[in-house]
Amino acid sequence: MHCEMILEEYHEKQPIYLKMQEFILEKLKKSFETKGVVVAGIESRIKTEKSLIGKLEIKGYKYKTIADITDILGVRVITNYSDDVDIVAAIVENMFEMDWDNSVDKRKMLDFDRFGYISLHYICRIPASLFHDDAMPEINEFRFEIQMCSSLQHVWANMHHDTGYKTEVEIPVEYQRNMSRLAGMLELIDEQFSRIRKEITDYRRKVQALVATGNFDEVPLNGDTFRSYLELKPFKRLADKIASINQAEIYEDSLMPYYNVLIRMNMKTLGDVGRMYKECKDAAYQLALLQLAGTGLDIVAYSVTLQNLCIVYILKKGFGEGGLVQMFALLYGKSDYNNQRAHRIYEQATKLKLV
Amino acid sequence: MDIKIIKEGQKTIVILDGRIDTSNAEKFQNDIAPLLVGDNPDIDIDCSGMTYTSSQGLRSFLTLQKSVNARRGKMVMRNMNPQVKEVFDITGFSNIISII
Repeated sequence: MHCEMILEEYHEKQPIYLKMQEFILEKLKKSFETKGVVVAGIESRIKTEKSLIGKLEIKGYKYKTIADITDILGVRVITNYSDDVDIVAAIVENMFEMDWDNSVDKRKMLDFDRFGYISLHYICRIPASLFHDDAMPEINEFRFEIQMCSSLQHVWANMHHDTGYKTEVEIPVEYQRNMSRLAGMLELIDEQFSRIRKEITDYRRKVQALVATGNFDEVPLNGDTFRSYLELKPFKRLADKIASINQAEIYEDSLMPYYNVLIRMNMKTLGDVGRMYKECKDAAYQLALLQLAGTGLDIVAYSVTLQNLCIVYILKKGFGEGGLVQMFALLYGKSDYNNQRAHRIYEQATKLKLV
Repeated sequence: MDIKIIKEGQKTIVILDGRIDTSNAEKFQNDIAPLLVGDNPDIDIDCSGMTYTSSQGLRSFLTLQKSVNARRGKMVMRNMNPQVKEVFDITGFSNIISII
């Protein structure tokens, strides 16, 4: 009889659960965004009537009212990496009122020889300090469940659920064993992903430290290292000198498009880029002087520095107009104009005795 | 400098004719003001009639490009004559603005 009352309450209190769901999702999304936490997804559901009836049939004796059931509203936060589950958990703990007696860290419950759905389940309430509605006081009384797991744990949980682990039909041992084997494999993959991320982060830190200390010959040239190098404003003196030709303003655009040009010029380390700067900066300035003096153009892009350095380097290395055409094609795509531009610059470089 | 702005479906065609220099730079800035609003702009600037641009013109194009980027749109300048293109090249503006 009391199960019927709970079902009645379930229908009656739907607007409250819906309001809670909306609020919790918005709050979590905003909080992850502000804290810079990237999650793979946030899912939520309000338990279906069918599922609730199933639960009441098995454990109905445990519940006096709907408020005793902690998973009518369920939220699942899925992280890309298993390491991030703890970060999400910390945010949840700070945001909501925790029911520690009913929260479960299934990751700690598994025996050494068992694999399975390893996620963190928190039972929470929305504290009145966070949200309150006089018309719906239950919003601060009803509990809800937040599950936190990695993408792979989520996949495993879905597959496990889909294959019917909640049914009363006895699952053959062989099937259970296969599911466990898969869970073990996914756990290993999860660990590897976290490890790879940590190694990449360590590598980036190490490279940034090398860049900061100026050991450029030890730093391989790649997209990451070049970006860090550019933060040091390595071509600022040249930019200032070029800007002084017409007392121009410098517009700080990105030099990243030139990364592919440097690679094409066979540069291997940041040391190579530094040497190019040292060897070509005077001629790069001379080229800018020839092009800009008397034009009255009083704005230049910062990228004009690397543009001219690359032009001078290509010509000094004897790659001629063809080399310039290739550079322009890399930067802007193929066009007939690239040939005209290369020819014009080659003539200017001849005047400057660069070739 | 004459400027025509034509709406063709989602695309905005801008046709430029003449010089952009100190004498008309402010007018040009005002003329392109309508292009600085709206979501996901798709702006195609026909420069075949443009004969010169000063730094003020470059600044206006830069303002427009930045505004388009901020609104996740796209902008291209096309049919530029070689003399005008050279201004964009020697100032490094060819690296900022898509010119085809």
